[in-house]
Amino acid sequence: MLIITRKPGEKIMLGDDVVIHVMEIVGNSVRVGIQAPRSLPVYREEIWDAVREENRAAAAAMPAALPAAARRAA
Amino acid sequence: MSTLTFESTRFGTVEIDEEAVIEFPAGLIGLGGARYAVIAADPDAPFAWLHSVEEPDVALPVTDPWRHFGDYAVELSDADTARIGASEADDPAVWVTVRAASELSGFSCNLRAPIVIWNGCGHQVINEAPDAPVRAPLFPDAVAVPTA
Repeated sequence: MLIITRKPGEKIMLGDDVVIHVMEIVGNSVRVGIQAPRSLPVYREEIWDAVREENRAAAAAMPAALPAAARRAA
Repeated sequence: MSTLTFESTRFGTVEIDEEAVIEFPAGLIGLGGARYAVIAADPDAPFAWLHSVEEPDVALPVTDPWRHFGDYAVELSDADTARIGASEADDPAVWVTVRAASELSGFSCNLRAPIVIWNGCGHQVINEAPDAPVRAPLFPDAVAVPTA
């Protein structure tokens, strides 16, 4: 992993098309701005990780595991 | 109407209408892939399969979230709205992935990261609405079988 130290106001380039702005530090948090091509999704890592986990779990299912009928929500 | 055939480890050789192929420019989160199709073995069944047309063993059960959650709401960031390129008025199809389990009580769906399909393109997006868990129980009335 590449480790870089930045001050608020400074930026990091990922290739030519992605800019990470270190905007300000407020208490324990760093406010980060991200400029990226519209087609590139940006996620908070913990959300991405949780969704990847659900996708993997879903992809493990075999047709026999699914019930033929579902009860409707009330 | 031209058709396309792909191999599936679950379903054998599958033939679909070429227009049914969905391009996922960013794939599915953590799973990748570029081209998928929604196949429904039984149109009346609550589950369909989002099946890779490139990888025979990649397929995810999906369901219509409104079939189970009448007041399901999807709120997207401006970035994701722009990425999809469609508005609610365009009436995109929305599916959520299903986690299967050995007991009905363990079944859940991912309301937090729905899959939005429109104009032949698919995107898995993050739903910013409140009360959209990654594991929303599908059969809340089912009772878990107690162990020992």
